Amino acid sequence: MTDRQPESPYITLRAVRKGYRIGGEVISIFADLHLEIPQGDFVAIMGPSGSGKSTLLNMLAGIENPDAGEIAIGGARLDRMGEAARSAWRAHHMEIVFQFYNLLPMLNAAENVELPLLLKPIPAKERRIRVGKVLDLVGLSGREKQYPALMSGGQQQRVGIARAIAADPDLLLCDEPTGDLDRRSADDVLDMLRLLNRELGKTIVMVTHDPQAALHARRTLHLDKGTFVEEKRAA
Amino acid sequence: MNFLHLARRNAWRKPLRTLLLMFCVTVAFLIYGLTASFLNGAQGSAGASDDLLGVMNAAGRTAPLPMAYLSRITSEPGVASAAYMARLRGYVNVEKNVVSVSAGDPHLMGRVNGKELGLTPELLSALGQTKDRVLVGRALAQAQGWVIGQRITVTSFQTARKDGSRDWRFEIAGIFDGENASTDTYFVLANYDYINAARARNIDSVDAFIVRPADGVSSGTLAARVDKLFANSAAPTRTQSEKQFLEAFLRQYADVGLIINLVVGAAFVTLLMIVINTMVFAVRERTFEIGLLKTLGFSGNRILALVLGETLIIFVIGGTIGLVLTEAVTVLAGPALGLFLSMTALMRAALFIILLGLVTGLIPAINAMRTPITAAFRAR
Repeated sequence: MTDRQPESPYITLRAVRKGYRIGGEVISIFADLHLEIPQGDFVAIMGPSGSGKSTLLNMLAGIENPDAGEIAIGGARLDRMGEAARSAWRAHHMEIVFQFYNLLPMLNAAENVELPLLLKPIPAKERRIRVGKVLDLVGLSGREKQYPALMSGGQQQRVGIARAIAADPDLLLCDEPTGDLDRRSADDVLDMLRLLNRELGKTIVMVTHDPQAALHARRTLHLDKGTFVEEKRAA
Repeated sequence: MNFLHLARRNAWRKPLRTLLLMFCVTVAFLIYGLTASFLNGAQGSAGASDDLLGVMNAAGRTAPLPMAYLSRITSEPGVASAAYMARLRGYVNVEKNVVSVSAGDPHLMGRVNGKELGLTPELLSALGQTKDRVLVGRALAQAQGWVIGQRITVTSFQTARKDGSRDWRFEIAGIFDGENASTDTYFVLANYDYINAARARNIDSVDAFIVRPADGVSSGTLAARVDKLFANSAAPTRTQSEKQFLEAFLRQYADVGLIINLVVGAAFVTLLMIVINTMVFAVRERTFEIGLLKTLGFSGNRILALVLGETLIIFVIGGTIGLVLTEAVTVLAGPALGLFLSMTALMRAALFIILLGLVTGLIPAINAMRTPITAAFRAR
């Protein structure tokens, strides 16, 4: 791991190669992928199914390792870390917003949001205050005790976002965050992500199929067959 | 919320399954607690003394010894005190209500094992006032509902009176408590002279002599010396400590300790397999959520601790209920059944609860710890 260098991009992928062995054959996803994302950016990644969006997100989250090349986030070399170090790194620097919310059904909204805070040395009282603040921020004040099964998809996604920002991560990875929502709920969630990016300076990388969703990002990268083929910047 | 809370929520997500697992653990520790209480209690040999020696006829427990042996035993160097005892087994009212009467000299009994039986000078004096008076152990008195001053009739199985009757009438002069809860108090202490004067056979004989060795004298060595005294007599003796005697007595029927260990072992192994199997499935059902926790930053060790915490909760609650039930049984039925749950047995049970909780949780916990996030997410 190296010290963070302010002048360098926040996320750097250099010469990343990744493939999957299926049967006796290796299917290449990325042959030589390069990407740079500065801190505070909000990037949407679009592309057809099988273009490598989810694999890219998994590698950025440290869930999968590249076969070759380097992945550096905030100066930390994820590709050189072991499983335990990547867990610790995720706990302190990054959170994921999932398409299907992925809330734990036996915990209520407040407890779901508190989960990542358990990994930090924060006293219980301060944890509760912080949970209240982020639930208020996502418009779910008063629903702390409600269980996921009794919430709409939009509300569950708000809890998912609250959980993602509760630990104050530098980086938010969003995997089709509006893929399971109606248009109105989707717009609410996207507005929230934009707010987090503009007001709180969170770096956001969002994988989406939805062109409307991509419009909320500062720039959109199109991925096809393991290569970025187009980049659009928001007006 | 904290990690324990999270483990508790996981454990209770399927309440029926968790309750059934706890029930299994409760039953296993109830079995363990009761068997340990049996061994610790008056029915086992754990509460028996290793210091007091019993001198019996080498031909068997039912063969008598001459009273004349007492003076030779008492004069043997290393003997602090000695007493004699005749046994009378019979029943009260109905044949299955069996009662054992030990008849001796009150003052000698007080000197030899008065401390162990809790025989105070007042009790011994009360016993000696008239010949038909008896002292009743607390456990027996409670079980029969007897009180001081009550008259009882014991119908002997074998000891007949000179008039041909087998009914022996006594008046209860007092109740003795025993030194501690593990002391056997399920019997009657009577005056030897009363029994001896009235019985038809074996007059002036005893069933056993009880010997207390002097301080610093090895009970084993003294036992050998006493037996040597009568080796060439018409009635050779066999001298054993109270503990050895009880162990040998129980071994007549079976190796009780081995049977108990096998029963407890079988209960624990069955329990282990049931809980491991159930927990493996319970954790497998949650593979996706384990992957999710890992993406949130939960390390493999934290996942391991979470699953182990869950099995520990099941074992601690189930095991504690089992031990509380054991204690309740020993308090309610203990005097009659001679059960006593000692602190050592309790501590050992607590250790078993923790160990079994960890061992049963280990396989599912290691599975959960090792599951890669990508594989966990495919499990949805």
